Amino acid sequence: MIYREFKDAVVKYAVENAVTDYELYYEESESTKAEIFREEVKGYSSSNAMGICFRCIVDGKTGYASTENMTEEEAKSLVLRAMDNAGSIESEEESFIHKQGDNYAVCGEEKEAAPNGSEIIDMALALQRELYRADGRVTDGTQSAAAHIGETYAICNSNGLDLEDKVSYDACYCLPLVEADGEMYDGFADRRGNRKEFDLKALAGKAVEDAVSCIGAGSVASGKYTVLISGKAMATLLGTFSSVFSAEQAQKGMSLLAGKEGENIAAEGITIVDDPRYEDSAAKRTFDGEGVAAYAKNVVEKGRLVTLLHNLKTAARAGVKSTGNASKTSYAAVVGVSPFTFYISSGEGTKEELFSAAGEGIYVTEVTGLHAGANPVTGDFSLSSKGFLVKAGRKDAPVKNFTISGNFFALLKEIERTGADLEFVNGRFGSPTVMVRDMAVAGNQ
Amino acid sequence: MLTKDLCKEALRRALATGADYAEVFAEHTLSKNINMISGRTDKIGDAVISGVGIRIFKGTRCVSGSASSLAPEAVLDCASRVASAMAEGSGISDIVLRERLFGDIHPVKIVPAGVENSYKIDYLREACLAAKEYHDEISQVNGNYMEVDHKILIATSEGLFAQDRQIRTRVSVSSIASKDGENQTGSMSPGARKGLELFEDLDPKELGRKASAQAVTMLHAGYIKAGTMPVAIENGFGGVIFHEACGHSLEASHVALGQSQFTGKLGTQIANTKVTAIDDGTIPNAWGSVNIDDEGTPARKNVLIENGILKSYMIDKLNGRRMGMESTGNSRRQSYQFEPTSRMTNTYIGAGEDRDEDIIASIEYGLYARSMGGGSVNPVTGQFNFAVLEGYMIRNGKICEPVRGASLIGRGSDIIMDIDMVGKNVKRAQGMCGASSGSIPTDVGQPLIRVSSITVGGR
Repeated sequence: MIYREFKDAVVKYAVENAVTDYELYYEESESTKAEIFREEVKGYSSSNAMGICFRCIVDGKTGYASTENMTEEEAKSLVLRAMDNAGSIESEEESFIHKQGDNYAVCGEEKEAAPNGSEIIDMALALQRELYRADGRVTDGTQSAAAHIGETYAICNSNGLDLEDKVSYDACYCLPLVEADGEMYDGFADRRGNRKEFDLKALAGKAVEDAVSCIGAGSVASGKYTVLISGKAMATLLGTFSSVFSAEQAQKGMSLLAGKEGENIAAEGITIVDDPRYEDSAAKRTFDGEGVAAYAKNVVEKGRLVTLLHNLKTAARAGVKSTGNASKTSYAAVVGVSPFTFYISSGEGTKEELFSAAGEGIYVTEVTGLHAGANPVTGDFSLSSKGFLVKAGRKDAPVKNFTISGNFFALLKEIERTGADLEFVNGRFGSPTVMVRDMAVAGNQ
Repeated sequence: MLTKDLCKEALRRALATGADYAEVFAEHTLSKNINMISGRTDKIGDAVISGVGIRIFKGTRCVSGSASSLAPEAVLDCASRVASAMAEGSGISDIVLRERLFGDIHPVKIVPAGVENSYKIDYLREACLAAKEYHDEISQVNGNYMEVDHKILIATSEGLFAQDRQIRTRVSVSSIASKDGENQTGSMSPGARKGLELFEDLDPKELGRKASAQAVTMLHAGYIKAGTMPVAIENGFGGVIFHEACGHSLEASHVALGQSQFTGKLGTQIANTKVTAIDDGTIPNAWGSVNIDDEGTPARKNVLIENGILKSYMIDKLNGRRMGMESTGNSRRQSYQFEPTSRMTNTYIGAGEDRDEDIIASIEYGLYARSMGGGSVNPVTGQFNFAVLEGYMIRNGKICEPVRGASLIGRGSDIIMDIDMVGKNVKRAQGMCGASSGSIPTDVGQPLIRVSSITVGGR
């Protein structure tokens, strides 16, 4: 059975069961990936994934059911399961199936043709050669990979909405392993977008530099430091705490930004943008998880919280319009709220100026352990970090195995400077380097 | 799910271009998630996951593919697609599939999928209400119920044809305590490889109260002062320390590629002589147990470290080829969409001989980590970090005031040498472990242990 037939079957059963408000959400992806190890193909995979979610509103309550199994029997089961689940919902909030009438951006410019398998393998191989070439200390265990991903998102509903987004992009990443003085060091770098724009040599160089620069890293003494948080590290933090900007979390008492719209929640220099069409983003979208048009907005403008992110349900409850941020973590997921490409705008300082402004302190280039060491409900974080000392206004010796600790809400207010070096992680969260004073650091020196 | 004839044809096609091994993994899974907030059911997720993953090996080279369908043409197309990417020789055609029954040592009394939502919701509500009523500082309670009914089928060119059905149920309660614009959280999330009889083992009120007690305690705690100190880590989820600091580095997926600090260390002392660590996929009804792994190898009890000596890695078939070693029944994958690799099942530090009171009394100034959050590790460098959810200072051998914001960092190979006291009372707790083959259920566990010195992050 193909999707169109399955869709018709689902609609038929919905009508038969007197379900008048419903939506079908469809997601499909095709990906091809090659992994290289010791300059040979270690693994090659191609996957076709597809899934459908049926959402209906019965007596004002929303029910969901999803499947990957497109059969006549399953179409029937999908409708019945969703209706049954709707009957179990007790929350009093009003639910919506989106209506037609939004202005949607035009999806996707003409993309390059998808690469074939050998092109992907060649890209991953070339990347690995560049890694070995970049530094003599790069050793076995070094991996590189390349992939091509094509995704389709579609929504159709009982209000006649019928939308489709197609995105496709190339991706590659590398993990060089460097051995020095009997110790292992690893680095990482990745790129997403159009493969024709990838500079593999530069990417490899960056990843190897990431590993090599840690050689001989020492520790730091516990105390309070002026800290420069690199764009990547700050973007990682922003991504981890992005749920605090969700109106859903706020309305459920799970975000301390609840009721703070219009207030200053960050330092004056901070503007945070959510942009579903961000130019460098690998996966641009024209509509959100409920079919509402997606658009760019400042969530924080010069320190002031302009808006929380909304879907139709949270917007109705707050008496505002949806910001087009309904999200589904997968086709099967229930609708939540999340940003698209979400970033802190660049400031003006060069890295040298920031080092100079910091004087003495620590430049944190990487934070890890986010899923345990950072809590969006409290804002608290305490994270394993690595980076460099800053001495006399310059980047100095590498340091590792220390933690930076604080509270995200306090951190936003304490940012003194932002650099001009906006960087992204996972192609989705971005930040320039930021400077804060008096950050708690724990080390074992 | 798939007939033997279809599997045989898929294997034949997959091998057509010269691979020396082929495997068909088919899956049909039902899962349900019920979310409750403010004492009311808010969202219910209800999913059917079904598809096939096919892998072929030639030496240590692996080609794989997957498709979200169990229809014969989709399965065969996937097999052909995989074979065409190998394209180096001619096939093997004489596969004889023999069905093997491994039995099920995890009895399920009440299969969740057949039970109405209201039964599950009533239980969840009781837990959530008890959590809310625990204290007037509890501002919100988030309850979650999860069930998975995971049917798998594995057929290989070695002739194996086997199936398993894994039913898991889990309940979690997260409480938020608030005061003066500040939040603190507490949570409980027990689960098991069983059905709704899980409810009979767990008093929902106690579950809710425990989550809230933690949140309220932490709301009134000050931040820990950073430093290096001895730490006593409680049993149960405290075992996450071994899981992260050492377990991941013993997975063949890292060892075979030379990406582990423990590569080449079999038979040598890598841990304190007090440490014996085990990965056991055969514990009846345990969250991380499997009858067979996702390559069809029966699960077993593997002693990883015995009195400090490294005895075994956790190995899957592909990495086993790289290492010249047999699979240890540790190959796991989240779903057909992920390629399986070596993963943990139920991993724990075995009982020692120290008394709990002696462990606490031995610490003049340090931290007692009663409840741990998750953690993570870089298996290459062994650098790990963990969050302490509920911690207390120890002064002069006595547990004193609660402290918040503590995290533990260090290097795996150091910390397992520094575990110098090991208690007697082993307890396990449930977690979801994420790695390249997806998110899988695993148990962690240990008795109360002392780590002689560890860097504690704080303020």
